[in-house]
Amino acid sequence: MIVNEKQQGIDRIISLLFWFVPLLITAIFIWILGDIVRGGIGQLNWAFLTTAPIDTGRQGGIAPILVSTLLILGVCLVVSLPIGIGTAILLAEFTSNSNWFGRLVRRSLDVLAGVPSIVFGLFGNAFFSKTLGLGFSILSGGLTLACMVLPILIRSTEAGLSAVPIEYRLSSASLGISRTSTLWHLLLPAATPGLLVGLVLGIGRAIAETAALIFTSGYVDRMPTSLLDSGRSLSIHIFDLSMNVTGGDANAYGSALVLILILLLINAIAAWLASKYNRSL
Amino acid sequence: MAKKFLSLLVFSLSVGLGLTACSQNSANLESQKLTLTGSSTVAPLVSEIAKKFEAENPEVRIDVQTGGSSRGLADAAQSLADIGMISRALKDSETDKFKSFAIAQDGIGIILESSNPVQSLNDRQIVDIYTGKIDNWQEVGGADAPITVVNKAEGRSTLELFLKYFELENSQIQADVIIGDNQQGIKTVAGNKNAIGYVSIGAAERDISAGVPLQLLSVGGIEASTETVQNGSFPLSRPLTLVTKETPSGLTKEFIEFAQSEKVHDLVEAQNFVPISPNKLVQKP
Repeated sequence: MIVNEKQQGIDRIISLLFWFVPLLITAIFIWILGDIVRGGIGQLNWAFLTTAPIDTGRQGGIAPILVSTLLILGVCLVVSLPIGIGTAILLAEFTSNSNWFGRLVRRSLDVLAGVPSIVFGLFGNAFFSKTLGLGFSILSGGLTLACMVLPILIRSTEAGLSAVPIEYRLSSASLGISRTSTLWHLLLPAATPGLLVGLVLGIGRAIAETAALIFTSGYVDRMPTSLLDSGRSLSIHIFDLSMNVTGGDANAYGSALVLILILLLINAIAAWLASKYNRSL
Repeated sequence: MAKKFLSLLVFSLSVGLGLTACSQNSANLESQKLTLTGSSTVAPLVSEIAKKFEAENPEVRIDVQTGGSSRGLADAAQSLADIGMISRALKDSETDKFKSFAIAQDGIGIILESSNPVQSLNDRQIVDIYTGKIDNWQEVGGADAPITVVNKAEGRSTLELFLKYFELENSQIQADVIIGDNQQGIKTVAGNKNAIGYVSIGAAERDISAGVPLQLLSVGGIEASTETVQNGSFPLSRPLTLVTKETPSGLTKEFIEFAQSEKVHDLVEAQNFVPISPNKLVQKP
């Protein structure tokens, strides 16, 4: 069949457009990253990572803030991973799509995923800080973030589980393998890439969070000695340096660079884990 | 299925209770702890004061939280915080509910380059210059030259104070240059004889005495200086204030006295605020 000239021209324009969009997105990413690297690379050194802030953060480093951030993230993951995976298994494996309970849970999760973070912050402040009496603490902050990332985590793990072909389950059942063993040895490994995607998105949302943490984990920039201490996260530190502290811009850039590096590192680890799981299947 | 739900419920309840128990224990242990919440303008300064206080009293821990002046008042009223921080004086309706203690003054001055012949501007003229209705110095008694309007970037407390005093919205301002911190503002105006800007008075005075070609304009007929800011007569100023629900005692009292003492004047100046004068070390009625 002969393709006419006009058709070819249209094809070319459309494929150009399809190239242009990802190029634009990459360019924006590189622009932002370049700006942060340019502004922050001069601040970044070992002392910056290992000393406490001095003079409201204009001088000194970010050691306590880095520790607080990682602790908050740790609390968030320790709480959200088991609950998230458990709920995803319940939704994907033990409730049918038409089940009223499953539908209710899914609908609630989708609504929760779209709730602005400040709402989670106010909830965390009212429930964890006041009702449970945790006060301004790393624990309050981590638990609030856990509530925030759960919807993302559950929905993507569920999607990963649902993507496993039904034949796996049927052949497993026909071999007399128990449902628990099937889940543990077959379905969960197969759903791991989905889980990792959810995890990366969740961590991304959690580590960038400012609004929810101001009301829960707080503003204190001392080195935390327990999970019940208040601890300032990197995102709040960046916000404070750029908005409330005159002359804090240089260290704000330095902190932003550290934040980006942590994110890139987590992304790289997740990608590596995902490829490892894919190969082992 | 029902069993699973039940066990999940029991689990989450026990975790919740366990956490509550933990926190109650720790609350008993830490009697030497002070919590402050409130204004994001005041919080960086008070954090620094708290660090100095902790260094002198190693057994004390002071947690400074932010969230805005209204949060400071609300938390102090509900005793969630020992001390609230607000970036203004108490309103008349609030004075019977709180005790207030000024720890510093935040004052901003309008600056011009020192060779600019304009000696004073009234509020109306400043508003007209910033909204673009007046765009040549000739209209206010200066040379025939266009005015370069220097404004602050969004989120700066000086911008807030400026807008509030002149009853402007930031969107109304026709700025030629947007600057971030005081130093940048001073450099911009000192290097452009047609520029007008506003910066923290403390920073401007220090640079003028160091020979930077700047002049501070009086506002509302009141000369712009750390003295007029200190005694509260300069209109473009606001007190940074600590508030408590009850008359302070014990650690709260010690900390407030420390925050008002001369020991923290270097910290106040480092944040570009003006220390309150020693004779103002009394509680406002």
